Amino acid sequence: MAGSDEVNRNECKTVVPLNTWVLISNFKVKYHLLRRPDGTFDRYLAEYLDKRVPPNARPVEGVSSFDHVIDQSVGLEVRIYRATVGGNGGEAGAEGAAAVTLPILEFLTGAPAAEPFPVIIFFHGGSFAHSSSSTTIYDNLCRRFVKLSKGVVVSVNYRRAPEHRYPCAYDDGWTALKWVLSQPCLRSGKDPQARVFLSGDSSGGNIAHHVAVRAADEGVMICGNILLNAMFGGNERTESERRLDGKYFVTLQDRDWYWKAYLPEDADRDHPACNPFGPNGRRLRGLPFTKSLIIVSGLDLTCDRQLAYAEGLREDDLDVKVVHREKATVGFYLLPNTDHYHEVMDEITDFLKDNLL
Amino acid sequence: MKREYQDAGGSSGGVDMGSCKDKVMAAAAGEEEEVDELLAALGYKVRSSDMADVAQKLEQLEMAMGMGGVSAPGAADDGFVSHLATDTVHYNPSDLSSWVESMLSELNAPPPPLPPSPPAHRHASTSSTVTGGGGSGYFDHLAAVDSSSSTYTLRPIPSPLVAPADPSADSAREPKRMRTGGGSTSSSSSSSSSLGGGVSRGSVVEAAPPATQASAAANAPPVPVVMVDTQEAGIRLVHALLACAEAVQQENFAAADALVKQIPTLAASQGGAMRKVAAYFGEALARRVYRFRPAPDSSLLDAAFADLLHAHFYESCPYLKFAHFTANQAILEAFAGCRRVHVVDFDIKQGMQWPALLQALALRPGGPPSFRLTGVGPPQPDETDALQQVGWKLAQFAHTIRVDFQYRGLVAATLADLEPFMLQPESEQDANDEPEVIAVNSVFELHRLLAQPGALEKVLGTVQAVRPRIVTVVEQEANHNSGKFLDRFTESLHYYSTMFDSLEGGSSGQSELSPPAAGCGTDQVMSEVYLGRQICNVVACEGAERTERHETLGQWRNRLGRAGFEPVHLGSNAYKQASTLLALFAGGDGYRVEEKDGCLTLAWHTRPLIATSAWRIAAA
Repeated sequence: MAGSDEVNRNECKTVVPLNTWVLISNFKVKYHLLRRPDGTFDRYLAEYLDKRVPPNARPVEGVSSFDHVIDQSVGLEVRIYRATVGGNGGEAGAEGAAAVTLPILEFLTGAPAAEPFPVIIFFHGGSFAHSSSSTTIYDNLCRRFVKLSKGVVVSVNYRRAPEHRYPCAYDDGWTALKWVLSQPCLRSGKDPQARVFLSGDSSGGNIAHHVAVRAADEGVMICGNILLNAMFGGNERTESERRLDGKYFVTLQDRDWYWKAYLPEDADRDHPACNPFGPNGRRLRGLPFTKSLIIVSGLDLTCDRQLAYAEGLREDDLDVKVVHREKATVGFYLLPNTDHYHEVMDEITDFLKDNLL
Repeated sequence: MKREYQDAGGSSGGVDMGSCKDKVMAAAAGEEEEVDELLAALGYKVRSSDMADVAQKLEQLEMAMGMGGVSAPGAADDGFVSHLATDTVHYNPSDLSSWVESMLSELNAPPPPLPPSPPAHRHASTSSTVTGGGGSGYFDHLAAVDSSSSTYTLRPIPSPLVAPADPSADSAREPKRMRTGGGSTSSSSSSSSSLGGGVSRGSVVEAAPPATQASAAANAPPVPVVMVDTQEAGIRLVHALLACAEAVQQENFAAADALVKQIPTLAASQGGAMRKVAAYFGEALARRVYRFRPAPDSSLLDAAFADLLHAHFYESCPYLKFAHFTANQAILEAFAGCRRVHVVDFDIKQGMQWPALLQALALRPGGPPSFRLTGVGPPQPDETDALQQVGWKLAQFAHTIRVDFQYRGLVAATLADLEPFMLQPESEQDANDEPEVIAVNSVFELHRLLAQPGALEKVLGTVQAVRPRIVTVVEQEANHNSGKFLDRFTESLHYYSTMFDSLEGGSSGQSELSPPAAGCGTDQVMSEVYLGRQICNVVACEGAERTERHETLGQWRNRLGRAGFEPVHLGSNAYKQASTLLALFAGGDGYRVEEKDGCLTLAWHTRPLIATSAWRIAAA
């Protein structure tokens, strides 16, 4: 098999820029060290290897961030990103030791804004086990979202597998949604309301879907879902899973490992968390489920599943836009060095604008 | 006593990050090759010219790890992978080139498995420690408690003896102690400690029941206490506490024993703050009466737990935040215009005070100074180098906000072990370099030194010797160090009642910022435990063990004045900002910032609870 492996690697290198290849291979190799065959996870090494940045109250390119605990009982934290004016003591009266804290407190205790702005609740990826809201790749992505949305991004540091299995991540997502809805400072417009979009990549996309379902069940209005290579699976292998296994950074073996780590111990991959429209799933016809922008990389081995998911929504008369980047691999949205990146960011910008009701 | 001073830092004192000489910024770099900017933005350093080489090495590593293209469970080299994960030291995984090479070198010549190493081993960080004071016998001096009572044996007493039945004597004492601190007027804490509220009404009447009880029960078995009304029981509770304390002071342990047993029942009739305060004071009294020696609160085993409590206390109420904020403001002002600054933190714990100062320095006009932090901490019982880890985290933080940062950790069992030379910069300074401007910061640390004769003087002498620009001191605003036990007891009863009131009142005031969910509870409970340990120390300990020797601003002014310091006025800037922050953060209900002779205090209603002051070396 050595020969065909070599072909695979060369092919893989031709579809992504070299620095992207290095970045994603670096994750691939490091993550491999963390997944033990017995299903346990080397959390200590994972935390050490994860590149992170602290929040920065000082605006960088017009965006500042801070961390905030929204549920003490679980220790659930979010990182909140917003546009702020730079400079020293930019806000009136903020100087000295209060220069940083005062603006944050003023923001959190502020009243609704007259002019509508979106609040994007973002769930980072990592196949339910990796990364955090402070991981640099996601910090960068959230900052990008603030710039293109002109709104606020709330990145949720949800509890991860295998220490915390289904449904912890979904519960944390729901907690974050309830929290956002309860904050006057996140409301806007004449009504005024929190104009919420749910978004995520990989496992984050999966979480966004399930939180949106619960919102629909409970009559909570969401402006839109933005899913980037959302993570879904199933017992049977799809065509793309067979064709692309191991070719573009991702293998079925690792996908299976993560599902085993996240799903209940006696569950298989047709569990509705993993396969929402599968044999144990549930259709959404008749529910006020939100509009979706579904971005799919053609070289992601689970692309069939993502496309089937979109089709499932469409069949139930729900509003769906699919952006299928056939030559994109996983992680293309992490580096601004391809057309995929720029065009997808434009799609997201348009979606936000069109649905900011 | 000779102490070894080891600063095992390679580059300037242990952890040195945040150098402004970012390679990424070297746009016009002549000598250095360019690093890939996009990867650098994600935290990975790879020279553009090395990219292909790194890619190739990654491929080799993948093959070595058996990460074949297809799912082939058998092909994976689990042994090697496991070795890489468990036994290998990962040096700087951001520098991809060298990280991959080091992983590959494990393949070529894997070293024998290392002995089980503590987690700190994984980080190639250097440890800089000062071993100090091991033999000073700080913990060896376990003072005996009131040895004069050693001949006394406890016997059950049929009737409860209480405070003197003379009501007039009682009421004469009460007004002095039971200041109407306004705790009872706060609507949010209806069960506030009734020190203020209850006694102010009709104290003469209330004094009667205990006397009646005493005589009636002289020959009968103890009468079960029937609580007619909470307020009356509350008054009786306070009486019992004070009477017990007085009995202890008089070494009348029979009486003390009888009284201490009443306290739990009486306390149970109360709710909220009063119940909890009474429980802690009751327990402390019991320990004193029965001579259970509680572990010294600075025992090594307790350090991690103490840190945890401290963190919860920080979260649940504004006291520590106020302390940090006001101290930082003073330090910031003292550092105005200085290009090299050095902060000495007398107890760094988790370093929570410093990110805010670093951010404020980063924002100041003209840019941040070069910043050095010396963090003093107690010895750790296990091998984890907590002191170094705090420094590491702060260094990473400083790096992202572009403040040039250096850190040194100093381990010291007591501050009295510090010597001036330990606080000097490590490397020789260029003649051209500005000398460092020093701030010494002590939050709730100075009072501990009063437990050892001469220790405070020694520490203040050391501080004098380093010629700091400013010394910031935060202390509890109370005299819990009176030689007379009863006075200490009464003062602290009032103080902690107010404190506990504020915790009850404060948690409801937080609803602006966070949903009124369960969970504020944990912080509050932990804060109560945190304060409970202080109560236990004030009441049940003596001698070197009794470290919670709080004194008032006036007392500190005397001590610091004698040691050659003069006060620095904390300006109106600090006062205004502290008030604003408090209004925004704490829901504002009961907390007040007050100014007192140039110092700032944080009060709950009218009772100041903690005070921040600043000092400099007095003009000759």
